[in-house]
Amino acid sequence: MNFWQVLSYAAWIVSGLLFLWMLADLVSVAKEYDEDFLMSSREGADELMDQ
Amino acid sequence: MSTSAASATGGERITMLKVLNPFHIWALGVGIVLVGEFMGWNFSVAKGGAYGSLIACWVIGLLYTCVAMIDSEVTSTVAAAGGQYTQAKHIIGPLMAFNVGLYLVMAYTMLEAADALVVGDLMKSGAEALGYAGLDTKPFVVLTIAFLAWLNYRGVFMTLTLNFVITLFAFFAILVLFLVTDPVHPGAVLKHSELLTDLPYGWIGVIASLQFGMWYYLGIEGTCQAAEEVRSAGRAIPLGTMGGMMTLLVAASLTWYICSGLMPWQYLGQAVTPLYDAASLIGNTKVQVLLFIGTMFSAIASANGCINDAARAWFSLGRDRYMPVWFGAIHPRYRTPYRSIIFLIPIAVSFAFTGLLDQVITFSILSGLLGYTFMSINMVKFRKKWPLNSIKRGYIHPFHPIPAITLFILCSAVYFATFLGYGASLLSIMAFYIVASLWFTFRRYQFVKRGDQFTMPWPRPKGY
Amino acid sequence: MAKKFIPKKQSGLGQFVDSIFILVLVYVSLYIPLWLKSESAAAAANNGPKPTWESLHLPAVIQEQWVKLGYDAEKAAALIDTKFDYTIDPVMLLVTAAVIIGYFIYMIKVSDKQYREVIAEKFGDK
Repeated sequence: MNFWQVLSYAAWIVSGLLFLWMLADLVSVAKEYDEDFLMSSREGADELMDQ
Repeated sequence: MSTSAASATGGERITMLKVLNPFHIWALGVGIVLVGEFMGWNFSVAKGGAYGSLIACWVIGLLYTCVAMIDSEVTSTVAAAGGQYTQAKHIIGPLMAFNVGLYLVMAYTMLEAADALVVGDLMKSGAEALGYAGLDTKPFVVLTIAFLAWLNYRGVFMTLTLNFVITLFAFFAILVLFLVTDPVHPGAVLKHSELLTDLPYGWIGVIASLQFGMWYYLGIEGTCQAAEEVRSAGRAIPLGTMGGMMTLLVAASLTWYICSGLMPWQYLGQAVTPLYDAASLIGNTKVQVLLFIGTMFSAIASANGCINDAARAWFSLGRDRYMPVWFGAIHPRYRTPYRSIIFLIPIAVSFAFTGLLDQVITFSILSGLLGYTFMSINMVKFRKKWPLNSIKRGYIHPFHPIPAITLFILCSAVYFATFLGYGASLLSIMAFYIVASLWFTFRRYQFVKRGDQFTMPWPRPKGY
Repeated sequence: MAKKFIPKKQSGLGQFVDSIFILVLVYVSLYIPLWLKSESAAAAANNGPKPTWESLHLPAVIQEQWVKLGYDAEKAAALIDTKFDYTIDPVMLLVTAAVIIGYFIYMIKVSDKQYREVIAEKFGDK
C-alpha cells in the first residue's frame, strides 16, 4: 500500500470517528439535560444590541 | 444532572461582546466569498465565452452592490441571529420567513458542498503532480466536512482574526500569480490575442453567463451575521461590506484576466480549480504550490463560515417550530446549535458526492437569488410598514427605491440566464420550494405560536 | 387582545417523520435534473470518426495550451463539441416564468394572511 492509499484510509477513519464522537455526545447530552432547558433560548431581546 | 424547566438559562442569553470593527466585517464577508474566485465563476465562460464572463462579472457586481446597500440597512436595524429569516418574519410574514430560512440553509450548505468538492479535487491534482494518478476524492471530501462540522460543534470557531489571515493569504496568492504572468509584457506569458475568441453564442450567451457571474460574490450578505457583535453597526457594516465588494471586484477582474490568457475557453468553462490550473501551466513550481495552498485555504475558510451560517438558520427555524422543534436546541457546554450542525452533515456530503460541481453551485445560486428577490420586495415593505422616523435604524441607505428596483430587475435577468441551459434545474429547485411551502402551510404552521414570532421592540406596523 | 393561539406540541415520531420528509425532498429535487441529463446524454452518444488535431483546425497557440493541460485530440474534441442549446421554447419560458411569479405571489399573499394574525395577537385587535 502506498502513501496515498494509506492517506485515503486514514481520511475515512478519522471522518468516521469524528462523526461517531458527535453522535455519542448528542445522545449523552440528551440523557443528561432536561429537554426544556436545551430549548430555552429566545430570539430578540437578548440578542439586540443597545442602539 | 438536570435542571428544572423554570430556571431557563438558555444558550443565547449571554450577550455577545461588541468588539468588531469594519476590518472584521470585511474579513467575514470576503472569507466566505473569495473561494468563488478560485472555483465556480469560470462556469460562466462555458455559458457565454470569456468576454461574456467578464461582462457578467461587472453586471452582477452591480446586483450585489444593491444587495449590500439594502442588507446593510435592514440588518443594522434587525440585529438577531436569524438574519434575513428574522427580517422576513417581521416584515412580510411566516411563510416567506420559512422560505428565506430555507434559502439560507440551502445556499450555504451547497456552497459548503462545493468547497469540499474542490478540496477533494485539489488532493487528486496534487497527487497527480507528485506521480500518483486517480486518487479517490471521496475520503477527502468527507474529511473536510466532518472536521469542520466537528470544529463548529465544539464551538471552536475559526476566529475572525484567523479568517482574516487566511483570506489575506489567498488574495495575496492571486496577486502573486498575476505578477508572475508578466502583465507588463502582453504575449510573453498571457496569450490573450490568440485565446480570446468572439462571443461563441453571441449576445444571448452573455446573458446566459450572468447565472455563474453570481458566484464571484455569493455570500457577501453573510457579513450581516456579525451584526450583534459590532461596536457601531451603522458605520462598520456598510463600510466593511462595501469594502468587501471592492476587494471582490478587483480579485474577480484579475482572476478573469489571468485565466482567459492561459486556457482555451472550452477548458476554462469546466475546470474545477481554474486558478490552480493556470498556475500549473506557467511551469513555476513555487507559484503552483502557492495557488494549491491558496485554493485550499479559501475553500476551507468558506466551508467553515457556511457550516456556521447554515446551522444557525436551521436552528432558528427549529426554535420557532417551523421545522421540528428538536433542532432548536443549544449545546449546554459548547453553546452551539449542535443538532442542526449534525443534521446538515449528510446533506452536504451527499451533494458533494454527486461530483457535479455545476449542479450543486446552481442550487446554491438559485437559493441565493430567491433570497435577493425577497430582499428587494422586503426593502419596499420595510419602509412602508416602518417609515424613516418611526423606528431607529442603524444605517439608512440612499436613493431608495432605486437599489430595490435595480436589484429586482437584475434578479429577473438572472432567472432568465439560468433558464438558458439549466432550465430543468431551475424548475426542479422551484418545485422543491413550492412543495416545501405547501408542506409548511398545511402541516408545520399548526405547531407555531402566533404572536411570539414578533420579537423586535417595534411599534405596530403602519397599515396593520 | 386577540385570543392567544395555543399550538399543539409535536411528538418525537412526528418530528422524525418531518425531518426525513424534508431530507428526501432536497435529494429528489437535486437528483431530478441529473437523471434527466443522464438520459439525454446516453441518447446522444458520439458515433463519428475519431478526431485528430488536424481535423479540429485549431490555431497553433490554442492547440499548444490544450497539450500543456494534458489533453489529447479526442478529449479536447469532447469539450469543444459540447455546446449549450439556447433555442428558447416559448412554452417552457412561459411555464417557468409563471411558476416563479406564481410562487412569489402565493407566498406573499399567504404570508400576509398569517402576518395579520400575528400582529393581531401581539398588538391586539384594532
